Amino acid sequence: MLKILDCIDAGSEYCPCHLAETGECIMCSQLQGKTFCDCRSWKGVCIYQEFTNNRYQKREQRQSKLCHILHREEVSEELFILRIKTHKDMARELNVPGAYVFLRSSENADYYDTPMSVMKVDEHEGTITTALQIRGIKTKALKNLNEQIEVRGPYWNGIMGLKYIKGLRGSKVLLVARGVGQASALPVAKKLVISGNKVTVILDKGSSGIFTETYFNELGCNIVHKPLLEGKGFKIPQETLEYMKMRIQEDEIKLVFSGGSERLHEGIAEFLLSLQEKPYFTCSNDAKFCCGEGICGSCHIRLKDGSRIKTCKTQLNPFLLYEGRINL
Amino acid sequence: MSKVVIIGGGWAGCAAAITAKKAGADVTVLEKTDLLLGLGNVGGIMRNNGRYTAAEEIRALGAPELIDITDRLARHTNIDFPGHKHASLYDVNLVEPMVRRVLSAMGIELLLETRVIDVKIKSNTIESVLTASEEWIHGDVFIETTGSTGPMGNCLKYGNGCSMCILRCPTYGPRVSISQRAGVEDILGQRTDGEYGAMSGSCKLSKGSLSPELVMQLEKEGMMVLPVPTEDVNMDKLNIKVCQQYALKEFAENLVLLDTGYVKLMTSYYPLDKLRKIKGLENARYDDPYSGGRGNSVRYLSMAPRNNSMKVDGVSNLLCAGEKSGLFVGHTEAIATGSLAGHNSVRLSLGMPLLKLPRVLALGHLISYANEMLKEPEGRKNRYTFAGGKYFEQMKETGLYTLDIESIERRIREIGLKDIYTYKLV
Repeated sequence: MLKILDCIDAGSEYCPCHLAETGECIMCSQLQGKTFCDCRSWKGVCIYQEFTNNRYQKREQRQSKLCHILHREEVSEELFILRIKTHKDMARELNVPGAYVFLRSSENADYYDTPMSVMKVDEHEGTITTALQIRGIKTKALKNLNEQIEVRGPYWNGIMGLKYIKGLRGSKVLLVARGVGQASALPVAKKLVISGNKVTVILDKGSSGIFTETYFNELGCNIVHKPLLEGKGFKIPQETLEYMKMRIQEDEIKLVFSGGSERLHEGIAEFLLSLQEKPYFTCSNDAKFCCGEGICGSCHIRLKDGSRIKTCKTQLNPFLLYEGRINL
Repeated sequence: MSKVVIIGGGWAGCAAAITAKKAGADVTVLEKTDLLLGLGNVGGIMRNNGRYTAAEEIRALGAPELIDITDRLARHTNIDFPGHKHASLYDVNLVEPMVRRVLSAMGIELLLETRVIDVKIKSNTIESVLTASEEWIHGDVFIETTGSTGPMGNCLKYGNGCSMCILRCPTYGPRVSISQRAGVEDILGQRTDGEYGAMSGSCKLSKGSLSPELVMQLEKEGMMVLPVPTEDVNMDKLNIKVCQQYALKEFAENLVLLDTGYVKLMTSYYPLDKLRKIKGLENARYDDPYSGGRGNSVRYLSMAPRNNSMKVDGVSNLLCAGEKSGLFVGHTEAIATGSLAGHNSVRLSLGMPLLKLPRVLALGHLISYANEMLKEPEGRKNRYTFAGGKYFEQMKETGLYTLDIESIERRIREIGLKDIYTYKLV
């Protein structure tokens, strides 16, 4: 499996970015310090030309904006949902699978920015809805916010394998989502339903409870409740695997999406690789994002071939992310 | 059966497909755009100067199909224009569909809108190529005919930026050098000032934008020469041009127009406001490249080292043809090298010795000569074509240039190569 690396921001209003200025562009060989073009990946825009036209400088990058919290809903002790008023432009740009924003309290420094998947968008009202699970320092600092919140975005690389989701029409699809991972699965289901696909969702409450069932129902998804990870080793239960295998084979499932932790993705990837007819594999991007701009290095992962990938900006086939970690 | 995969559906790729098929292979052509022929869709000039001899040699060797198509679709034959004699101009609007029909009827698989981006290679042997849509295409032998034009970043770095040419990189994605992906370093052409690459040599104007009188005369004569206003003559522009056979003083002091269906303007680019100062061109606009007022595509940035049988050095099952195989200019040169590569692909798959065309033929002479020149730094600043420049002089000196079809056939018969491309090897 040869890797094809796409930059999620390529061709957007934020491209070229800091990486072009420093010879670290993810896609353009000319902006990696090479002398000639070698465009294995292509998104319809010559980044080198954009960079030259912009007088060899990056475009203006995303800024934090202070936004109002319109509604707050406590789902459990660990999880709450915020509806935030943003600009309509921002809401529109976040109305895609994989969209996320960085959130923080305006009282805290920039390094408190924490990434959150955008679960729902109202383009007309200019609002976004996110689900926050209290986990560590940065999310604890958001726990008591009721009125205002700093929002930085839009970001789009919250899902790996987006092109498979965007390209699928009139097929059957299986979504598995656990805990707060349900939030990233919802826009995926919405996009797939709009494209005429039939969606089955396996939900596991994880540690945060089920908070998406109504929305999945509204979309007309078929909902199944099953444990997705169990035991100390966090393994997918055999019964769930057998159920998935049956669904995939009987329904001729073309795409599987995994929303949850890396453990879940690894389990799903291993299971799918064992199948003769492999559906497309897509998953939520569970790397540790810090800056979202490919600079800080916290989201770097090393692939089997030894290369390092900035996962906050890079789209690649999710099997490549996990093939080095699975005992095949 | 030998499976031959051709990457790039320009004139060279199409010619390779035909001879590989005739030699008995199962042939697939992978082309990144929705049209075969690549830059051949905006070309048109055949049979000028030594290309006449070359075209007849290709026919006598047993690959007449593409030459016959361009002859059949000629809007004008036996045209003379500055520095050039007995040219024939095919209709660029009709040629691609006809080539496509001929290839399909021969049972050649054509996969359009299929961009190859990488290779899987094991012990110097390519096992398969990867398409942008993540499909692996397996083959026994591969022929690279991806050309050397663009893509956008190169056209910007070594030219005046993307001029929106027929290759349409933004839509279909850029050319990727397959030989380089297989670990073989590309060779680069240079201009006289040492800068890399060279600019395509002609633009096309929309016929409907020119004055009816001018169009009428052009359609009658096939060509026209319009003097450039003295203040706009730019001799420097000749240096950056690919087509040295057209880099003549006459082409700087005059605008040479040819009727290929479009109005072919024999200059790399020409600012629109200056163009519109010329009588009959007051409303002119470009059809190819769309930004012909600013620049043109940049070429010769990706040539593979090869032997005279068209096999790429360092990869056991890769051949090349067209501009990928040297500093060649023109359709006839692409068809000549493509036909040889196609035939040899089948020989290679069967472990047979590869065919090398002897230097007593113009084709064999050009293929060897261009290869020798490619190894010399000064040689990389020249272009090689039957139609003019240094090589046409050689053709004349060595007596290879002739318009006598019978003597061409005799020459080929004498060396035992008559209809060699028609032999079924598998």
